[in-house]
This record gives sequence, structure tokens and C-alpha cells, in this order.
Amino acid sequence: MIFKIEDVTVYFPYDNIYPEQYEYMVELKRTLDAKGHCLLEMPTGTGKTIALLSLITSYRLSRPDSPIKLVYCTRTVHEMEKTLAELKVLHDYQVLHLGTQAKILAIGLSSRKNLCVNTKVLAAENRDSVDAACRKRTASWVRALSTEKPNIELCDYFENYEKAAENALLPPGVYTLEDLRAFGKNRGWCPYFLARHMVQFANVIVYSYQYLLDPKVAGIISKELQKESVVVFDEAHNIDNVCIEALSVSVRRVTLEGANRNLNKINHEIDRFKANDAGRLLAEYNRLVEGLALRGDLSGGDQWLANPALPHDILKEAVPGNIRRAEHFVHVLRRLLQYLGVRLDTENVEKESPVSFVSSLNSQAGIEQKTLKFCYDRLQSLMLTLEITDTDEFLPIQTVCDFATLVGTYARGFSIIIEPYDERMPHIPDPILQLSCHDASLAIKPVFDRFQSVVITSGTLSPIDLYPRLLSFTPVVSRSFKMSMTRDCICPMVLTRGSDQLPVSTKFDMRSDPGVVRNYGKLLVEMVSIVPDGVVCFFVSYSYMDGIIATWNETGILKEIMQQKLVFIETQDVVETTLALDNYRRACDCGRGAVFFSVARGKVAEGIDFDRHYGRLVVMYGVPFQYTLSKILLARLEYLRDTFQIKEGDFLTFDALRQAAQCVGRVIRSKADYGMMIFADKRYSRHDKRSKLPGWILSHLRDAHLNLSTDMAIHIAREFLRKMAQPYDKTGTMGRKTLLTQEDLEKMAETAVQDMAY
Amino acid sequence: MAGEQVEKRGVKYKSSIKDPGTPGFLRINEVMLLFVPNDPKSDSKLKLQTKNIKSHKYTKEGSNKPPWLYLTTYQGRNHIIEFENYSDMHTCRDFVAALLKSDEEPKKAAVTTSTEQLSIKELELRFKLLKENSELQRLHKQFVESKVLTEDEFWATRKKLLGKDSIRKSKQQLGLKSMMVSGIKPSTDGRTNRVTFNLTPEIIFQIFAEKPAVRQAFINYVPSKMTEKDFWTKYFRAEYLYSTKNTAVAAAEAAEDEELAVFLKPDEILARETRQKIRRVDPTLDMEADEGDDYSHLMDHGIQRDGTMDVVEPQNDQFKRSLLQDLNRHAAVVLEGRSIDVDSEDTRIVAEALTRVKQVSKADGETTKDANQERLERMSRVAGMEDLQAPQNFPLAPLSIKDPRDYFESQQGNVVNVPRGAKGLKRNVHEAYGLLKDSIVEIRATGLSDPLIKPEVSFEVFSSLTRTISTAKNIIGKNPRESFLDRLPKSTKDEVLHHWTSIQELLRHFWSSYPITTPYLHTKVGKLKDAMSNTYSKLDAMKESVQSDLRHQISLLVRPMQQALDAAFQHYEADLQRRTAKSSDGERPNGYV
Repeated sequence: MIFKIEDVTVYFPYDNIYPEQYEYMVELKRTLDAKGHCLLEMPTGTGKTIALLSLITSYRLSRPDSPIKLVYCTRTVHEMEKTLAELKVLHDYQVLHLGTQAKILAIGLSSRKNLCVNTKVLAAENRDSVDAACRKRTASWVRALSTEKPNIELCDYFENYEKAAENALLPPGVYTLEDLRAFGKNRGWCPYFLARHMVQFANVIVYSYQYLLDPKVAGIISKELQKESVVVFDEAHNIDNVCIEALSVSVRRVTLEGANRNLNKINHEIDRFKANDAGRLLAEYNRLVEGLALRGDLSGGDQWLANPALPHDILKEAVPGNIRRAEHFVHVLRRLLQYLGVRLDTENVEKESPVSFVSSLNSQAGIEQKTLKFCYDRLQSLMLTLEITDTDEFLPIQTVCDFATLVGTYARGFSIIIEPYDERMPHIPDPILQLSCHDASLAIKPVFDRFQSVVITSGTLSPIDLYPRLLSFTPVVSRSFKMSMTRDCICPMVLTRGSDQLPVSTKFDMRSDPGVVRNYGKLLVEMVSIVPDGVVCFFVSYSYMDGIIATWNETGILKEIMQQKLVFIETQDVVETTLALDNYRRACDCGRGAVFFSVARGKVAEGIDFDRHYGRLVVMYGVPFQYTLSKILLARLEYLRDTFQIKEGDFLTFDALRQAAQCVGRVIRSKADYGMMIFADKRYSRHDKRSKLPGWILSHLRDAHLNLSTDMAIHIAREFLRKMAQPYDKTGTMGRKTLLTQEDLEKMAETAVQDMAY
Repeated sequence: MAGEQVEKRGVKYKSSIKDPGTPGFLRINEVMLLFVPNDPKSDSKLKLQTKNIKSHKYTKEGSNKPPWLYLTTYQGRNHIIEFENYSDMHTCRDFVAALLKSDEEPKKAAVTTSTEQLSIKELELRFKLLKENSELQRLHKQFVESKVLTEDEFWATRKKLLGKDSIRKSKQQLGLKSMMVSGIKPSTDGRTNRVTFNLTPEIIFQIFAEKPAVRQAFINYVPSKMTEKDFWTKYFRAEYLYSTKNTAVAAAEAAEDEELAVFLKPDEILARETRQKIRRVDPTLDMEADEGDDYSHLMDHGIQRDGTMDVVEPQNDQFKRSLLQDLNRHAAVVLEGRSIDVDSEDTRIVAEALTRVKQVSKADGETTKDANQERLERMSRVAGMEDLQAPQNFPLAPLSIKDPRDYFESQQGNVVNVPRGAKGLKRNVHEAYGLLKDSIVEIRATGLSDPLIKPEVSFEVFSSLTRTISTAKNIIGKNPRESFLDRLPKSTKDEVLHHWTSIQELLRHFWSSYPITTPYLHTKVGKLKDAMSNTYSKLDAMKESVQSDLRHQISLLVRPMQQALDAAFQHYEADLQRRTAKSSDGERPNGYV
């Protein structure tokens, strides 16, 4: 359908639109007009993504003189693929109605591992070795050397891409990762470098958060984006965590050992160069004297990760004299490693501010703050000079240098915590020195400063006033949309008791109670026998899930569950989890359904949809609180209290409930969909906990469903499923329009004009 | 023999010896003998299903006759084919002879056949059904061989058994049980520490499917290195070591015994398969790809211990395997189902078959671009929002619900299948409509004057049945599980049951023949009636022959059968009278020819 929002003609690829989608577009348009930032909460299952894409692309079309670029950030690669698939539908529609002028170039961008088409490079095991394998074939010095020694293996795709030079362009269209790979294979061009090159030309870029938030990656990929860009963070309820993680780094004993080995190798290389090619080291020295950390423009193959500190915090000065010479720098690093080793040898938990850490480092190891700050740049320069390609082997020393640079750069918003062992496993010594960032606003600040509009949107941003404080920005629009329901297609329930009326909870003192475990099990046994298709269960943690499944296995509950449905489980191995999910979907497609056990805050809870028959019931076992004794968490809470006046308890509950809402929200994808949500913990019945749930869940949570036992829940579930299986009127009943047609919209626009006239 | 065929040019086809013959081209393959005349206008084209060939004769070389091949069909027709030379004739003759030989067995099973359109496959299926079901066989023998029913009539009511679905269904593999392999619990004798495991082929299959390494080890070791029993003993020893969760002991034992170590080590074949599969996974689920983008958690970057992610004891110990992995693996195998069609007791054969299947599927995985394409299409389909647009037509999988037409087909089977008599009687739609209209008008005018069963009769049947049940219960009141039938001598019991099934069969045919619309049905009903009266008298004889103490019971049992037969006879008589009356009026009943 095509309709107008004020002066913008919006092309929307469906025949109908939800009223909230329309409102969402109106708010979004105001944000774009105001060239400001906004915060929009809209329940899952109301088509946020397509509303967003369709408005922004239409906005671009209506302002041909100042074309805006859309940078769409997703949390995961599969969300990226989904977004691009939706964009494809939209793009086809726009081209159909407007012709070639509506053509855009949209690309998804990911790492080499997901884009490479060179089979030999892909054979490498993990991401880092793929990166290194690529670099071994594409680094400028390797390619230069290959002209002399023909037996050096290069990458044909990269060579062809380089040969095509400026002509290597993607024709307009929407490219998923798969499409990029296919295109690259077809043309013989490297899809990874092609995509990176196209970033500056593309109208829409879809990539991961980290490509914009993590300075290490953003420094290379997102450097050249223009100010006239709209940045969208979709599913952004966890954005604060992404931000603080991007600036945190830790050092373990294995890191130090690895870093020492790296230094030995670097020393060896320096000696070799001194003997053969002393001029090169001298040239580097001279360059550093002149104040250039890196030699001019690096070709694509040479680039490594960028500086871990944020761009405006990086000093544009000459590298300090004491680390200009390669050997001296290695000595400094050795002293640093030694100092860190001593600090790790602690018996107690230590917490320190970066300032005091730097000063004690200065007094004990004689390394100044400024020296620390330049560690990363100096290391990168040295590695380029030494022509090191197997970057994956040098990760430990890089980690240490990242740590040094960050600790030397930031005096506030961070703390250093040294723990001799994990709180929960005191018997296993595993000392760790963590530099943890507490202030989410640090990492996102450059994004807010650089781009004209930043849109933060998600299904769960409640309480919506908390996010501007956490990220310290002022949105021009901050709104939470209600979901207009055609029918009551979600059925949240709070289960507080088992069939035996004993309370259930994952509270620390109750979670291992056999009665609770049994009641949780019985709940599932009953539910799998009445719910058709998929059932998803979320547990508060891996260890809890592990324990409870083991108990269910011993007591035969698991066997009873397996008589009804197949069981699939999220494990800590991503590959296995991915396969389990794939099998789960196939089992649901078969018709009998299956059960998926997953973990709140886990990878599955973050990004996998259990829509339609893939999830008719989701059970949230317990309240997914963070581990409150964690030293890092305590430090962060303290910082939040001191800086933003956010109470610890409030933040913890907020965090737990947004995770729970996130988990249960996975079952709804559109209004035609339906699903039940069981919050199985007595603590959910308390008002202070429950009220933190997003409004669209609360509005369906009836008072009668607040304090249920297993048998009551089963009764309600039966009724609900029977009701939902009936055909219904999609356009809404009783005067409430839940689906608008083009006519409705035109009428609405008219009345709005009339309202204004009066 | 499949796919083979013989082709000859320059042959002549004669319908009789005196026929001068039409020159043409002959092709014989395993289902069809085809003669195409050179002159396209000639009408002597011959198409003959090879299974209809009853016998063949040929002229001898050296005799003064030309090289002829005589073919006789089951329909009693003769075909003569004249060849250019003897060698051509011999090749064709040999081919036909081979065909006839291979056809012999199903032919025997089918006993008599008037079925021109039956393929060998169908015959085989019928034969198989008869073999599997002795009761059916007995009925078949009784009625078909005694010509009460024809082969077609007999099977027409059993379309469901013959239907395509049933062929598929009969081939449907039994899935795997949902029980975990690790759930196999040993039995103990209670006195010693000995435990005994009972392994069924099913369990072995499951173990092999879930643990390719065990399967491979079996192929490698048994029987060259150890006996099957030793192998399984070792396997369960390893399982025991797992269950104790004592990795130190497991490691120690594995170091000593390399065969045991095979079971304890992580499964490499499985790991390989996993790597294969991950490439084919739905991209909207591919969490492994996320790892590729996650530079925040580059070695030791990001937050390690803030309590969001909990720690589990290190998993790198190679002698540790988690229950969760087992569960996932188990569910995946159950979902895959039983992929092999080997029903063997021999463990080795099972193991090898599984390995083969895996290799094939692996090869498939490498070549299927289609699957990839389908995956992408599916993704784009899912990307759309279903309720914002007109409904799409999703590919549907048919549900296996009993087809209601089965019922009608079985009722009208005889009419539809009337092989010869009705052939010239192809009514067009209008005629059929006219007939239907007439009969509706008739019924409207006269009402259903002729209820199938008279109310009195049905009442009697009903009350007597009730009485039978109650008396039977009274007599055997003490032991409800023992029915009256069990007290009869076995031979009598079998006889009663057999009569019951045969009466059912006859009645079914009888009632489904009404209204009689063709002479064919007319003769059929006659035959059925004879057979029924035959059975009736047999029932009487049986009643007489049993011992006196049982006679009452038997008569009670037999009574409903006889009553049902009586009802049929009555109907037959009434119908006959009506028809004679009508035909004497010179008026033909509906559709009667």
C-alpha cells in the first residue's frame, strides 16, 4: 500500500498495516525531521522492522537532494539475514511502483568467516584463524614477495578484486551474506573486501552492533560513514551491556603465558631483521619520531583490529621516545607482563581504580601512563614492520596491549578487579585481572555525536526513561507503543505453586529443593501432553538447567516428557546448539512438536524466534537475576548509584525482568500468531517484580492468572488453546480496528487535517 | 531383466495362419509386446501385455515352414509373428520364454484372472496380502476358487488394502523409541556383582545410529579381533565408566585398553557429520555465524565474570560427555528415523548398512544446491508478515486421514468394476443424470416402500443379541475374561468364527449388489444366494453335531447369523418377485439392460 505521512509518501509492501505500525512511522518521521535521536518501544510481533525499513527508505526517496544512509545494526547474523530478507520484499515493492529510481544498494556485512569463499581459507577452524589465513594470502608484503617466489600461495579472489580495482562494484540490489558470496564466486571477486569497499556507496548497511560500537572493529569498518546517516539499533534492550563489553578486557594467567611466548617470537624476528634488513626497523623508528604511528594508508589485507580506545580519546601525538625502538618496546612489555603476573598472584579479591593502578604500575615497573596509552599503536606498527601475518597466534600480546591502552586512556567509568578464583567455584584457582567498564555511555557517545539520527528500538525498553540515563543522551522522541490486539492471542500466567500447593521458585534457598524440581518437572510433563507443536523452556542459568535436567533424568520425569515430545537442549557449544535448533524446527514441522530447553541471557534467548508452531508455550523457570555476588556487578551497581542515582535493587529487578520478558516474547511474531507464557516462580506474583514487565504483557495478565497452581494453569491452557484454534476476523472486532487498509489511512489523514483546521 | 527389450524390424503379424500378414516392427519388453505395422493406416496394430501371454510355440528350423512364433494368451487368442530369419525368431522366443518363467510365480498366486489391467505389482501385492492374512486366504480359497465370487469382486471390497496408500503404509518404517540408550538398565541376579544386559536388535540399531564410533568399532573389531559378546561387554564397561563420572578412572582404563578407549573418546565421526550439517543449517538459526562477528569477545575481551554468564566446570576433559549432548543426539536420531531397510538379526549387516546410508547422505549433502535454494525461498517466505497480506499457498503435506470415498467405492465396487458386461454400456453424464432423476421421482412418489430390514426382524436380532450376551455372562459370571467361545472345542470354535467371517463377506457382497442394475449383478446375486444357502445348511449341520451341553450356546451364537441370512433371503425373494412382475409388465427397471 502507498500512503502519505505528512510530506512523505510511504511505500509499504503489504495490503494492510497495523495501527501501531503507522504510529511508529509517524514518530520515526518526526525524529528524522528533527535530525535527533529517538527511543521507541513497540511489542514484538507488530512488525517493527518492516515499518522502520519502509519509512526510512521512503523518506530517502522523498528527499532526493539529501539522501540519507541507513545503518541498521542487529545483534546477530541471523537477525541480519532476516532484516535483509524483509528489505528484499520492500525493495521489490518499491521498484515495482517507482521503477529504477527506487533502486538501492543494501548489503549485509560480516566477518571473513561468514563471507569468505576461498575454500582453503574457510577450512580454518575459527574466526581468528580464518582472519589469519586470509591475511597470509592478502597482506601487501606477501603479495609483493610472491612476485619473486611463485610458490607463495595467494588468494585468487582477492587478486581478481584488486585487479578490477575501482571497477569492482556491486550493482544495486539487496545482498544477503549468501548473495554476496554467490556474487563473489560468480565474478571471482573477494566478497569480503568487496562488501567492505561498498560500505561507502551503499544506501543501506546491515551489520552487527559491534561494527559500530566496538572501537576495535568500528575503527576499520565504520570510519568513513557520513554524518547524514540514520543509525538504527534494533532489539536494543541489551545495548548497555554491549557497550560496556566493548570496552572491557581481562588478563588471565594463560594470557600472560601466551604473551610471553609472543614476545619471544617478536624478539626472534627483530634479531632476524637486524641481521638481514636493518633498514626496515630504522625506517619505522624514523616514522615514529615524526609522530606517525602507522605508515599512511593501509591496504585492506594489512588492516588488523583498530585501537581499542574510542576515536576521540586517541592521542594524535608522537609515540613516546622510550618505546620507539623495537627492543625497548619489547622490554617495556616484558616489565608489564611481569607486573601483571605479580598482581595475579593475589589471595584476595582486589578492587582498584585505573588511576591508582597506573600509579602503582609506574612506581613498581616504571611504566608511565602515556607509554601505556601508546601500547596498542606501537604493537601494531611493530607487527606490520615485522610482517607478521599469523595474527591469531599473537592474540595474547594484543590483549595485553589493549588492556594497557585502555587503562592508560580512561580514568573514570572503569575499575580493575582482581579475583583469585570464581566466587561460585572457589576450589578451582583461576586468577583473573579484569578491567571492566561500567559506563555504557562511553562506547555509544561517538555514535550519538557522529550521526544525525540514532534510533534505539526494541520490544522491551521498559522502563523507557532508564535508557536515556544509562546511555546519557537526550532523545527527541521517546515513546512506548501499545499493541492493538485482534484477539487475546497471548496468555501470560504466573505459576506460584505446584499441584501439591508447595511454592515454586528459583530463589537461592529453594532452587535445589527436590519438591521444587519435581513440581517444575510435573508442570512440563502435563503441558507437553496438552500443548500442540513447540514448547520452549527457559532456565535461569546453564548450571541450573544442567542440574535440573540431570534430576529429571534420574527421576524419570524426562522419560515422561520424551514420550510426548522430542527434547532438544541449548548447550554451551554454539555448533551443537545451532543443530539442536535446526532439528527442533524440523521436529515442529513434522507435526508432533518438540521441547527446547534454553537459558535466559543465553544466545538462543537473545536472538531466536519461536514464532508460530515453533512455540506455542514458553515456560520461564525462575527469575533470571544476575549473580549478585559478582564483584564486577557490584562495582557496576555502585557506579550506577553514584553517577545516575539508580538504586541497586531497581537495576537488578529491571535487568532480570527485561531478560524474562525477552525470553517469553520470542513466541509472538504477528497478530495471527498466538502463544502462552508461564512465569513459574512465586516471586512474579509480587507487584514490585511484576510491574517491571513490559506493558503489552501486563495488559494481558489477568488478576485471576497471578497466583496459579499447576492444575489451574493446565485448565487455563486447555481453554486458551481451544479458543485460539477457532477462526477469527483479522481486521478486528467491536469497533477496534487492528488492521488498516489504505482507505482507512486516507480517512485518518483527512480527519487529522480537519482537526487541525478547527 | 528390468529395462531390457528386444526390437525387430521386418516382421509380419498374422492374426490367423491364413492371414497373409502385415509387415511391421516388433518390440518386446518386460511388460508389453508391441507390434507397429509399417503402414500407419493398417489396423492390425498389436499391444499385448506380456503377463497375459499364456504360452508360446515356434516353428522348428529345418522344417519347411517360415520362422513363426505362436503366442497364446489367457484370453484364448492366438497371435502369430513371422520373422525374417530364424535367428531373429530365436532371440525373441528366448526373451518371451524368460518373461513367462519370471511371471509364473505371481500367476500361481492369482489363481484365476480375468484382469487385463492388473500389473504384476498388484498381483504381487494381493499375493502378499493373502500370505500375511490366513483368514483372508481362507475366504479367498472358499469363494474365489469355488467361483462364487470373481477375483475382482473379492478384491473390490478390499480396495483399501490394495490402495496406493496401503502400499506406502506397509512400507512405512517403524520409528525409533523415545527411550534413551543410556536408559538401558541391566538386570542383576541379586547375589553376585554380575549384571546382565538384554540387547535387542532395536537397541543395537539405536546405539549404532547414535554413536557412529561404536558402529565403526564394531565393523573393525568384530569378529576379527573379538566376539560380539566381548564387544558389547566392553561397550557397557565404558558406559559404566561414564556414568560414574570419574574421569580419572576412565582415563586410566582407556590408557590400558585401546579398544575400550574407542568408546570413551569423543566421537570423531559424529564431529565430522556435525561440521557437514552446520553448513546446511537455516541461516536464520545459524548462531555459529554470530561467533564470526563477535569481536567484543575476542580472547579475554569483554566481561568475563559479572555473573551474567555462569560458569560450568571446564568441559575440555575428553573423557567427559554430558547428558545434554546425549539428549540432543538422541532426539536428532529419532527425528531422522530409521533410515535403513535392513531387517536383519545380524549386527554386522546392520552396522554396515548404516555406514553406507551415512555415506550416501553425505554425498547428497555436498551436491544439493536445490536444498540451498529451497532454504532461501523458505526464508523469504517466512520474512513476510502473514496477516498483513493475502494468504499464501503454502505447500501442504496431505494428512493421512481415511478417505471417505473408500467406503463408497467398496459399496459400488462391483458396479464400477464390471469387467465385460458393462463395457458397451458407457452412459454419458446426461443419461446418468436422467436415471438418477427418475429414481428420485419414483422414491418421492412411492416413498421408501422397501426398507432394507424389517423392523420386526431387527428388533428380534437386537433382543436376541442382548439375551445372548447376558446369558453368556451369567454362565461364565465367575471369570469375565473367559468368553463362551473359549469353552468350545477348538475345531468348533474355528468353524464358528470362519462361518461368521464368510457370512459377513457374502452379505457384504450381497447387499452391495442392490439395486440390481445389470445382468452381471443379477447372476452374481444368484451365485451369492446359492453360497449363502449352502452356508446356512452348514450352520444347521454344525448345530446338530455339537455335544448337547453346548448345543444351546451354539444355537444362540448361530442364530444372529442365520437371521441375517434369512433377511437376505427374504430380500432376494421379494426383489425377484417384484422384478418378474415388472418385466412381465414389459417395463424395464432402472438401468436394467
